[in-house]
Amino acid sequence: MLHRRLKLFRVVVALAIFAGLTAALVDFRGALPPRIGHWLASAQFVPSLMALLTGTSLALGALIILVATLAAGRVYCSAICPLGILQDVIAHVASWWPGRKSPRRRYAPPVNWLRQSMLAVTLAGVVAGWAGLTLAALDPYSNFGRIASGLFRPLLTLANNAMVGPANAIGLTSLYRVEPHWAGTGMLSASAFLLVLLLVLVAWRGRIYCNTLCPVGTLLGWLARMAAFRLEIDKGACTKCAECLRICKAHCIELRSGAIDFSRCVACYDCIGACDHGGIGHHWSWRRHQPAAVPPMSDPAPAIAVRDPARRAFIAGAATALAASFGASARLHAGPSAPNRDQPELDDAHRAGAGNARNVICPPGSGSITRFLDRCTACQLCVSACPTHVLQPTWTAYGLDGLMKPRMDYTTAFCNYECRVCGEACPSGAITLLDLPEKQVTQIGEARFEKEKCIVVVKGTDCAACSEHCPTKAVYTLPYGDNLRLPTVNRDLCIGCGGCEYACPAQPAKAITVSSKRQHGRAKKPVEQKAALPPAGDFPF
Amino acid sequence: MKSRRDFIKTGLALGATLSLVSRKGLAAAEAAAGGATAPAPAAPALKSVLIAVRDGSRTAMLDRALAALGGIEVFVKKGQTVLVKPNIGWDAPPERGANTHPELVGHLVKLCLAAGAKSVSVFDNTCDQWQRTYENSGIEQAARNAGAIVVNGKDGSLYREVEIPGGIKLKRAKVHALVLDSDVFFNVPVLKHHEGSLMTAAMKNLMGVIWDRGAYHRTDLHQTIADFLTFKQPTLNILDAYHPMVRNGPRGISVEDVVEKRTLLASTDIVALDAAGAKLLDHQPADVRHVRIADQMKLGTMDLDQVEIRRFKLT
Repeated sequence: MLHRRLKLFRVVVALAIFAGLTAALVDFRGALPPRIGHWLASAQFVPSLMALLTGTSLALGALIILVATLAAGRVYCSAICPLGILQDVIAHVASWWPGRKSPRRRYAPPVNWLRQSMLAVTLAGVVAGWAGLTLAALDPYSNFGRIASGLFRPLLTLANNAMVGPANAIGLTSLYRVEPHWAGTGMLSASAFLLVLLLVLVAWRGRIYCNTLCPVGTLLGWLARMAAFRLEIDKGACTKCAECLRICKAHCIELRSGAIDFSRCVACYDCIGACDHGGIGHHWSWRRHQPAAVPPMSDPAPAIAVRDPARRAFIAGAATALAASFGASARLHAGPSAPNRDQPELDDAHRAGAGNARNVICPPGSGSITRFLDRCTACQLCVSACPTHVLQPTWTAYGLDGLMKPRMDYTTAFCNYECRVCGEACPSGAITLLDLPEKQVTQIGEARFEKEKCIVVVKGTDCAACSEHCPTKAVYTLPYGDNLRLPTVNRDLCIGCGGCEYACPAQPAKAITVSSKRQHGRAKKPVEQKAALPPAGDFPF
Repeated sequence: MKSRRDFIKTGLALGATLSLVSRKGLAAAEAAAGGATAPAPAAPALKSVLIAVRDGSRTAMLDRALAALGGIEVFVKKGQTVLVKPNIGWDAPPERGANTHPELVGHLVKLCLAAGAKSVSVFDNTCDQWQRTYENSGIEQAARNAGAIVVNGKDGSLYREVEIPGGIKLKRAKVHALVLDSDVFFNVPVLKHHEGSLMTAAMKNLMGVIWDRGAYHRTDLHQTIADFLTFKQPTLNILDAYHPMVRNGPRGISVEDVVEKRTLLASTDIVALDAAGAKLLDHQPADVRHVRIADQMKLGTMDLDQVEIRRFKLT
């Protein structure tokens, strides 16, 4: 009986993780503490592996998932991975459709060449220094993040806004309108495409995405083949009624031979309950030498023959993975002194025209653009968590390996001086959580003031919107002309938060702009003496 | 002219308050001042009144100031809707002096509700991220606890475009509906140094009721600040000068930027109030350009000799 409860347990865990992650990613009101999203995302395979390999944090998520997979198969894919759970949710919701028959599934052979190619591309990317692109594009968690943050969040915001009027009318004042934040066309299309692809694939063949396209699914599948406890069909009990394979969304039960391709089993446990005869259960599978009969192309059991091509593929894959890990580790540990893309400095970027595609600013705590792009998987958790929405997903602004990774966009917002929410949220270590005093001296860019564009000079009227917003008084004003005040920048104090650029009302071009510091620096901390005024014991009027 | 009319209205309201005429009388006086198109009657020679209180807690000083003006009931009648507009500009805690102190806001809300106000709303079009600013300024909590409705000032749909015929440079602006629709409008700024306008107090605080602050900065900051007063003047201005920020304003860097003054000012003459605020910061009122412009436009008086100042020292 306990065995039959496994599915219930899986569903409860899955829904909790799915609900929590979705809430964090669609949280347009900033209602959820950013740490909740961080914790749930840290349980995800790719971000936690990234954090572990780069030594950013002792993220055990990936290790636990690897061990769990070796013990009992791909539990990640149905209980933890939000993209996997999303597919289950889609299938479940579709089954409520009136008149819709439940799908009758049957065994389908694996598409091994595609599985292995996808994984090979991912790992090759890691080795070649393109981890930023391949991992970001293929990590299932990050793909879910982009769907939830890029599509669900603005849609939910619109729904909220539609409800504000009626809610306020009945005296519910806790609802308020929020400006929906749409990602650019590029990221939006990519997320929408993936969502549509999932809908189609789920309808066509269940979890084929996880078993063909997802490199994490393939990697874990390799381990699952060797799992200690595997789901097996008890041939004595099996009546070949085929209930199990009809319900199997992974299409991995081959009934004729009575074998389950455990490399493709996503550990949903639906089949256990479907079998009226108690014929499916976990069995200790190590140190046994009677492998089940093997369906032609699936090779569910390991250690059959040394010449087994799947086994060879596994060994090759494992070796690549290992090399990739070391390669990535070495690359990522290379200090700031190593030659890298951060060297083209600021001045060049600026001369080419500030605010252009090359003047991209990455968030405080990310260290440098190179470091950031190597670690970020573009999951958009920070974008959703950022209270000012200064963090916006890019499309190609960083270049190809920075596809969809967030940048600081000062056209509609600026970085809040007292805030370090992005560091709290980031699960992969791309944005390190700095202590607040440290964050407040971290230079991510430098303000540049162009006097000839300034309102004060052009119109001869006071303004100082820039200095008003400057949290460190790196931008301050000096007497100018007829009793006016003209802004000036003290670069030593500037941290590049963008307050000045955001606030500058000059048109058509802003008079003060922030240029990227590709390698982040350290500003001086403003030192202050206690302010004083001439003593006035009485009223000065 | 509208500016003149408003000035007269203020004068009349004050006269009524001073002579402790009943609210009916005041309402009649206001009615006499007429709607937006009514011709302005001749200006009566009434002095503006400025209440200045020192050396008490914020709440005690507010109580004293209101008592000197005849009590909150002079301004708030049963069933009226009230807007309390503090300065909630920056994501900074109360001790930094970057925002109006939450204690003062909470106390005023309580008094309004006790006087029978139908509702009291609080908002500002913040400079820093609004939820954080509302929260960390302590104002959201204080206002809610006191029974106010805290309204999102960053919701563009709540602002309505209006014409400002009396404005010299500010001809149109999107103004928050609460300013347009509330019966009573309390302007509750904090006194601060300002890098661009030298000082920010009551007049500059009204920038927070319009949608596009950039437009002010772009089209002559001081003139537009004064121009807005030709459209709307608060029912009463209450200036929190307990610990004014005297440099690095309006945001400030740390608590080192504030100086303890333990002062609170109140007046229906917004220009006189800002003139006195300037003095508290050791400036001449005329040095603050928007104060001088507003005085020239006869939106109030910055000549404190022409103002009846009632001084109170609490111990």
